[in-house]
Amino acid sequence: MQSSPNSSSGKLIIRTVAAWLVALILFFPLLFLAVTAFKTEGQAIAVPSLWVFTPTLENFVEVQARSNYLHFAWNSVVTSVVSTVLGLLIAAPAAYSMAFSPTKRTKDILMWMLSTKMMPAVGALVPIYVIAQTAGLLDTKFALIVVFTMSNLPIMVWMLYSHFKDIPHEILEASRMDGANLWDEFRHVLLPLGMGGLASTGLLCLVLAWNEAFWALNLGSAKAGTLATLVASYSSPEGLFWAKLSAASLMAIAPIIVFGWFSQKQLVQGLTFGAVK
Amino acid sequence: MAFLELKGVEKFYGKLRAIKGVNLAINKGEFIVFVGPSGCGKSTLLRMIAGLETINGGQLMLDGKDITHEPSSKRDLAMVFQSYALYPHMTVEENMSFALRLAKVAPEVIKEKVSKAAEKLNLTSYLERTPKALSGGQRQRVAIGRAIVRQPKVFLFDEPLSNLDAALRGQTRVEIAKLHRELGATTIYVTHDQVEAMTLADRVVVLRDGMIEQVGTPLELYDRPANRFVAQFIGMPQMNVLPVGMFPKAGNVYEVGIRPEHLTIVGANEGQLRGTIELIEALGNETLIHVNLGTAMIIVRQYERTRSQLGEQVGVQFDPAHLHRFDKEGKAILDGNKLAGAAA
Repeated sequence: MQSSPNSSSGKLIIRTVAAWLVALILFFPLLFLAVTAFKTEGQAIAVPSLWVFTPTLENFVEVQARSNYLHFAWNSVVTSVVSTVLGLLIAAPAAYSMAFSPTKRTKDILMWMLSTKMMPAVGALVPIYVIAQTAGLLDTKFALIVVFTMSNLPIMVWMLYSHFKDIPHEILEASRMDGANLWDEFRHVLLPLGMGGLASTGLLCLVLAWNEAFWALNLGSAKAGTLATLVASYSSPEGLFWAKLSAASLMAIAPIIVFGWFSQKQLVQGLTFGAVK
Repeated sequence: MAFLELKGVEKFYGKLRAIKGVNLAINKGEFIVFVGPSGCGKSTLLRMIAGLETINGGQLMLDGKDITHEPSSKRDLAMVFQSYALYPHMTVEENMSFALRLAKVAPEVIKEKVSKAAEKLNLTSYLERTPKALSGGQRQRVAIGRAIVRQPKVFLFDEPLSNLDAALRGQTRVEIAKLHRELGATTIYVTHDQVEAMTLADRVVVLRDGMIEQVGTPLELYDRPANRFVAQFIGMPQMNVLPVGMFPKAGNVYEVGIRPEHLTIVGANEGQLRGTIELIEALGNETLIHVNLGTAMIIVRQYERTRSQLGEQVGVQFDPAHLHRFDKEGKAILDGNKLAGAAA
């Protein structure tokens, strides 16, 4: 039995419309944010919302003038990149040993690591704050890097573990038989075959660290403040400034969106590459 | 002196003693085949030689050097895996040259060695392809090529043909035999297929439960098995083993064995054994006739077509010189009392 061309193209239309609809619903807040960023404060609170207006850049100028955007942006770049690299350096060997020389307790350790993510962050706030204070690390990038790395490690180990699991063990053994030491094995076999996994794990953790607000606000809001703290500072006791808040938010997420856009290709490439056996 | 020597080699998995003090001396250039039922430890033993499993006891000597605790990368052995284990991100050429590149061999030398091996294995036109663009047989040849370009001290094969279909398996088996003749390299080959064992080996090592049951040339194992296990493991269909009660009692003989081809179907009142035909398997080149003796079943192999019918009463005849005798523990009694030929 064959379905007529009419009914299959009808299905296609319904699917296309549904896909666009879902995409628009997901994208709408972002669009609204972007539009609001170019309004004056007065236009921003107008009800119903204005969609036709003369765009202005004054919010962006003011955000930079009032709170030195570049300073926060630099902090965001440093903390997220360094914590991601550090996390990969720690997680990759851990995932390697768990995937290729598992013991009876490997699954338990993985579950335990994941379970730490189930605890609300605020549960660890007091001890970590006290430690940071005692060590004189409050409001330093170093403290944020350590905390971001720690909080992302369970996810990194899990992701890399499942990626490494897909690499047949015998390929690594074959390289050992071919005379590869641990470093050769890593460089010539594990790295190229696990590149997709390493890239997607790294990217995800970069985004998580970039967007992290809880620890950034609590451990470093001035000198070490990230863009998340910059955004938060616009909902202040002076009241809500929607247009400036939107401009600051847009500036905060813009770099990571641009980065994600460009790395998408690499990411997809990396993923299909890893899938080829 | 032996080239590769295992001295009381042991392997434990927790409390389980998987390899139980194996002693074996392999000479340079020999083709050794490990056979045994699944779980007998043949692959484990090979992987211990390869350095992919740790050795928990005993000693492993290669060319006069103790390599018991050397890492795989320093043992100078090459291995062909059952799953081929080619590097998926490298071309055939890169796969074959990987070991030489790691060893920092000069590029011209690598090129020459790889093209020589590729020629030998009919891979020259595939050098630029990646493994996923190759058929199973070609992948297997690349895996073999990867091993031979290195000219290692010993080749290790771990059931290399079991992923190929029957026709290709036969063909590759012949190629491996030819390669070994040409290269004369010391080889250890693991298989559960006794045809591979019989046709390839200079000497066969039969393993069971982590222990060596017998070491010998293929025909030695076939003609003079050391025990009941080897007698029944080597040979298809397996040797008929009957309780000695069916024969006149002699010495400490407990069971008697005879190969199917040493039995002949004769008239109902002739021969030393009597029974009824239960099944006839006509395979074209041979016929396997299953005869029910009342207390036991035996298989008779004949190379002529049979006129016998199912359910027919027949006699079975044999030459007593072909009998194998086993004691209560299953050990072969090689020069014990000759058993009288007449059946009870």
